[in-house]
Parts: sequence; structure tokens; C-alpha cells
Amino acid sequence: MAETLRPETPDQVLDAVNWAADHGRSFDVTGLASKHPLGRPMQATDKLDLSAINGVGLYEPSELVMTAAAATPLDDINAVLAENRQRLAFEPPNLSALLGTGGSGTIGGVFACNLSGPRRVLSGAARDHILGFHGVSGRGEHIKSGGRVVKNVTGFDLSKLMAGSFGTLALMTDISFKVLPVSEKSRTVLVIGVDATDAPVAMGTALKSPYEVSAAAHLPTDIAATSGVSYVASAGASVTAIRVEGPGPSVEFRCNALREMLAEFGDTEELHSSNTDTLWREIRDVSCFAGNDKQVWRLSVPPMDGTDVVARITDKIDSRALFDWGGGRIWLALDGGGDAAHETVREAFRDCGGHATLVRASDEVRAQLPVFQPQSAALTGLAARIKDGFDPHSVLNPGRM
Amino acid sequence: MNDFGNIDDAVLAALGDIVGDRVSTGKSVRDLHGRDLSFHHDTAPDAVVFPETTDEVAAIVKVCAAHRVPVIPFGAGSSLEGQLMAVHGGLSLDLSGMNKIGELNEGDMDVTVEAGVTRLQLNHHLHNTGLFFPVDPGADASLGGMAATRASGTNAVRYGTMRDNVLNLTAVLADGSIVKTGGRARKSSTGYDLTRLLIGSEGTLGVICELTLKLHALPETTSAAVVSFPELEGAVKAVMTTIQSAIPISRIELLDEVQVGAVNSYSGLDYSEQPTLFLEFQGSESAVAEQVKIVGEICSDNGGGDFRWASKQEDRNALWKARHDVAYANMAMRPGAKPWFTDVCVPISRLAENILEARKDIDASGLTAPIVGHVGDGNFHTTILIDEDNTGEMDRAREFNDRMVKRAIASGGTCSGEHGVGIGKKEFMELEYGTGVAVMKTIKRALDPDNILNPGKIVDT
Repeated sequence: MAETLRPETPDQVLDAVNWAADHGRSFDVTGLASKHPLGRPMQATDKLDLSAINGVGLYEPSELVMTAAAATPLDDINAVLAENRQRLAFEPPNLSALLGTGGSGTIGGVFACNLSGPRRVLSGAARDHILGFHGVSGRGEHIKSGGRVVKNVTGFDLSKLMAGSFGTLALMTDISFKVLPVSEKSRTVLVIGVDATDAPVAMGTALKSPYEVSAAAHLPTDIAATSGVSYVASAGASVTAIRVEGPGPSVEFRCNALREMLAEFGDTEELHSSNTDTLWREIRDVSCFAGNDKQVWRLSVPPMDGTDVVARITDKIDSRALFDWGGGRIWLALDGGGDAAHETVREAFRDCGGHATLVRASDEVRAQLPVFQPQSAALTGLAARIKDGFDPHSVLNPGRM
Repeated sequence: MNDFGNIDDAVLAALGDIVGDRVSTGKSVRDLHGRDLSFHHDTAPDAVVFPETTDEVAAIVKVCAAHRVPVIPFGAGSSLEGQLMAVHGGLSLDLSGMNKIGELNEGDMDVTVEAGVTRLQLNHHLHNTGLFFPVDPGADASLGGMAATRASGTNAVRYGTMRDNVLNLTAVLADGSIVKTGGRARKSSTGYDLTRLLIGSEGTLGVICELTLKLHALPETTSAAVVSFPELEGAVKAVMTTIQSAIPISRIELLDEVQVGAVNSYSGLDYSEQPTLFLEFQGSESAVAEQVKIVGEICSDNGGGDFRWASKQEDRNALWKARHDVAYANMAMRPGAKPWFTDVCVPISRLAENILEARKDIDASGLTAPIVGHVGDGNFHTTILIDEDNTGEMDRAREFNDRMVKRAIASGGTCSGEHGVGIGKKEFMELEYGTGVAVMKTIKRALDPDNILNPGKIVDT
């Protein structure tokens, strides 16, 4: 019969893993289960609920570093940071509305799934912000990697290996990560009516400029119409959004310079702080695709190829796309039936390179498909050896990756 | 398990089949490949091979795997912890001939290069594109070597280190297979992050042959300043406040009073012999002006005086040349001595006390050792000028380094912020990671079961 274990300390996590290894059992590992539908459905015998491994630990605002237990809710972390005018600079998304789950999820889940938001173009991905962790490997041993300092070159970078491993190698029990001050001001330059071909060029121009753009997204007309920001929703055309953050006078200067620079692509508008926050939260959380039953893919492609990739897909199947990260990150919603149109989607970037992850689909569909981009035989072999090194008995999240 | 194979005639013949005459057992060539910029004893390999393609590297590694011959990748020979020493003999794989710059995508701001391309060669190539590659460890290192040692440098505070600037790698594994870790797409979420596992693995998990690098836009304006402080605490406090204020400063370097003295006499300058910050600002004109103003106020609030600006190119060059010439300035302090570059990184709130304790230890030990730090990151170095033949002095240097490293680890820091482990920091790994070292050994065994890739570095299996 399936058991649910709820350890309260790292030692109890170790005991649980050892119990599973000794008895041929395996765990479906969760924190608050907000990202449970990511990856393939698991084939575990039991559940390991880590939600009690919870709480902000050492936080010294002057150090710009926080250590927190892995299952600390992201909302709690954001609240503590906000009291000190700080934040997670990689802008982790809250995908629970998109995934039809609930809550903000945990900090461990954010790092384990390596989830980063629009500011990734300036500040890097989640994995760039993790400095170190303590945890328990699938072998049933306590492990430690990295620490609380920004630079550390002592051996293999296991923290980065944890980021994006979906809990299949080791269970993090606490995590140290970088935090950064909140910018004094943020504004968004909107360019209205840029066509699909010009959009990546416009975004690339902004990103390459010396004006420190902190996000660049393109919302085709139908996506823009769903925004809660009236300027965007009522544009009646596509909207290309460029965000600038920093001290007031500098933001003002850079916005003006960007508007001048981007005028050749279309009429420009400017959003102030509160509308800027709303718009980028919508983009971050992919709100435009929440609350319906379309399948959702997440594509990563070279930014300049994004438009062509989407055109090749929409030629074959009706789909809607949101472009973030200057066009390099595409969220795509479609109704692809039992195979989620995975061949059409992946064929579209075969020549330019890239990868696609099926983020939202029924358990049945995800069980049948390669949810993550299939890899070369050499890489698959290498990954298998690493998995075997960490978790030889397949105790942790079997089948998820 | 150290029963490695020898490079006998059969191995040499097999290598010759792959690279023709680009393999050497000559003493001078071997000696050149058994030394780096560290104080570690030179240890030459048994032979050196000069591949020109990834396929050649793969074929060479296959030969070495079949004969269990150690393979030691070599880029520019600028490592600092003995990473390229052939401590178990074997074959040095000199990748400097793999120096082609491949596809440059200006739109996507990335470029693919072979491992032997050096950072100056790349930046020269990027001239006129408005783009540059920022990671700058000082030496004109090879980009493959920089990835293998996870290099950083003076501007990491703004642009990050190698781990933040490599999009993907092509590497040859211990069995001679070739893997490419990703495409040019920015995010690699398909499977484990093998790119970052290989970055910093110092040639022990795979031989990095090609890299795709993230490029950055050249700043519109650059400005620099020098400011000295009567006390070290004031300088560190100014740095902390600057970083906390989210000012995107590109470099903040701290020189202690001994270091300023060395720089003054070597470069003919007249800075006050006090703890001194070298600062650099980049961005649009207005952003730089604003940064300069805010940081100027922060420094002055913390006791900084004698504030010197260098907004003109030639003044800035003179200033940063003085900073970059620190190694030479130090060597000139004691001609004939060998420099031992130490390297620790601590939480920034513990930086002042760690530097002050280090200075106290240096003075008590009678060693000559100026201190310089990339203080925005909590990382600092001393240059111990040692007479290698004087065993008493070597012991004192070792004792001093031990104390400094242990103090750093006890402060929540690390035994290496940017030089790596190699053979020099291996003894501190247990202290820093405890059982975490066992996991690294597991990974090493999983990827290189016969231990032929740069054996004896980072961890022993």
C-alpha cells in the first residue's frame, strides 16, 4: 500500500530515502505540489511530502544572500525580501494558474525546475542564482555543495546540476541563493503594431543597446488583447514591450533613448510602475494561457529564429504564441490531440536548434510523449550515468525526466 | 588505483596515425607543458600532442583509454593551482592549435569558438561589432581553459564568471565519445545541466573542445576612479553599500597599503599608501554620471578622500594598467622570488576582518605579501613572494596560507574563489564539504571509471 512520509528534519529525509532504498520503494516527491504536473507522470510506489522542511534561515540583507529550507513557500520568501526592499532577481514565475494547481509553490521547486521569468535576459536564470545547498542524495547520504559566497570554484558545481533536475538526483533540504535590491523605478516602452518578422529585430536592438533592458517580450494582437493593462489590451495591434529599471533619472533617460531608437518599428508608448508590474507579471506567469484546456509548449530557440519557428508550426496547426526573452522563449498553446503535435513542434526548429518542453497536457498525453526534448545517445548515456551515481536505486521521482 | 599505462612505442604509433608529426616527446616541449603560473613544482608529461580538431581529440582519448594513459588538457598554461601538472605522467593535450572562431551571431549575441582561442583573440575578432566577451582573468588564457577552471576576474561583479557566460559545450568524454551539451538557445532545460557540470571540472570529467559563448554589448561610456581610505573597514563598508544600492558597477578592486606602495614604485604613481579602491563604471552617459555621483558620496560617507576621476581614455588606461601590472609590481618588490598567488572568498560582511587578520599574520611571519581583492565578490588574493630554496620560508608561507584558508571556511567562505582546486587546494576539500566530497568522487567514477582524465586533480578516486 502506498505510504506518505512527511519528514520534519534533514535526518528524517535521510531515513526516508534509506528506508525506500532498503525496501525497493520509490518516492513521488512534493513540496506544495504546485508544479507536480511538470515533467512526465511518475511511477513511484509512495509519496514523500517535504512541506515540513520549511522556514527562512540565515538572511543577511547586507550580504545579498538568503538561506531557506527547501519547502519554504515562495510567497513567504518574497514577503521577507520585500520588507528589506530586495527580491529574487531572476523573477521566478508562479505557474499554478497555468497548471491548474494552487499556491505559490516552494523555493526548492523553483530551483529544482529551474524556473526563471522575463528578467532572465539581464539577470540570468534560477540556476545562476543558487549558491549552494544541503541535501540528501538517492544513495542515502548527506551532501553539501557550494556555500554562501558568490564565487566558488572548488570542484564540481553540484548546485547547478540540481537546478533543472526535477528532484531526480537528490533532495535539497536547504538552499542558499543570491538576492538583489528592488529597483527604485521601472518603466516599460511599448512599441505598437510591430509585425512578426520585425519583432525579434526590435527586441534585439533594445537588448543590444547600452540602455540595460531588463525584459523584452512580444505579444501578438490576440495575446495583447487579453492583458489587464488597458493600454496593451486596447492597442488593437501587436505590442512589443521593453522594460527598463533603475534609479529614476536614469530610467527616464533610457526610456527616452529607447523610444527614439525603436520609433522606426512603430508608435511608442510608455507604462509607469504599476502597469509595468501588472504586464510583466502576466508575461511571467503566462496568464494568457491560464484557465483553458489547450496544450502548452515552452520552446527555447535562437531569438532571431523564433518568428520563423512559430510560423512553421501555425502553418500546420492552429496555435497562439507569446514571445519572451527577446524572442528566444516561446510559450505556445495549441490543441494537438493525443500526441500534442510534438513532431510538428520539434520539426519546426530542427534546422536552427532549440528545444521544446510540453508544460501542460493531460497525464495520459504526457505519459506517452517525450515531454522533454529528446537528447543525443551520448548525452542520454551521460545523464544515465549521473542519475545512477546519485540515485542508483531509482528512489527519487522515477520516470519524471 | 594508480596503475596507469606508459606512453610506449605502440601508443606513440597510434597517436602518430591520428596526428602525424604533431606529437612530441622532446624534453623542452614536455617541460613547457609541465609548468604554469603557480608555485607548484613543475611536473612534465611524458609526451605532448597537438590536435587540431575535436575528432582528433576523440581519437586520441580513445587511444589513451585503451592503454590507460592519463590525458591532461593544456590551453595557455596560465592556471594557478597546478591543474596541468602531470602528477601521474601521461599525455599533455595541447589545444592551442584549435584556435578557430566559428559562427558569430550578432543578432543573438553569441559566438562559437574552439577551446584554444584566447580571450584577447576573441575580443580582437569582435572589434567593430559593438559586442565583447567580458570575462577577464588577467592572463590571456584560452577560453577552453577558462571554462575548465570556471575562471572569473575583475569584472565578475557585473558580468559574472565563465559559468554565467557559456551557453553550451562540445566535449570529449573519457571513452572518447563526443557530446554537445545544448544548442544556441539560451535555456537548457532538457535534462541535467551538463554544461555547468563540465565548467570548473578542470579537465577531470571531459576535454572541452568547443564552446558557445554569450556576448555582451559594449558600454557607451566607461569611467574610472581611485579613492583611498584611512582604514580598511571604511573601504569595505563603501563597497557593501555600493553593492546593496544595486549600482551596476563594473569593477571594484581593493589594494591594501602594501600593494599600493608596490604599484607606486613599479608604475611611477603617487597614490596615498592607504587601503585604496579602484572603481570602474560602465553604461550610458547619464547612467555613468549618476553612478559616479552616488558612489562618490558613499565613499566620502565612509571616510574616503583623495578621490581621483579618470574619464579620459588615456587616464583610465594608466589606472587599469597599474592594476593589471600588480603581479609584475609585486615581483619587482623582491627580484628573484617566486610569487604564490593565494585565493579565498568570504561573505562580504566578514571581508574586512579576514583581510586584517591576513595582514596581521603576514606581518608576524616576516613574509612579503601584498593584498589585492575583487571585493565586490568577497574574493581576495595575497601574493606571497617566496624563495623556493628556503625551506623555513616555504613552511611559513604554507602555515600562513593554511590559516587564511581555514579562517575563510570558518567564516562561511571557500578555499578558492577563482583559481580552482587543482593539486593546490585538494587538502581543503574535506574541510569545506565533508561528505560532499564523496558525491564528487561518485560523479568522477561514473564519468571516468578508469580515472584517465587529469587524474590527481580536485578529488582522488
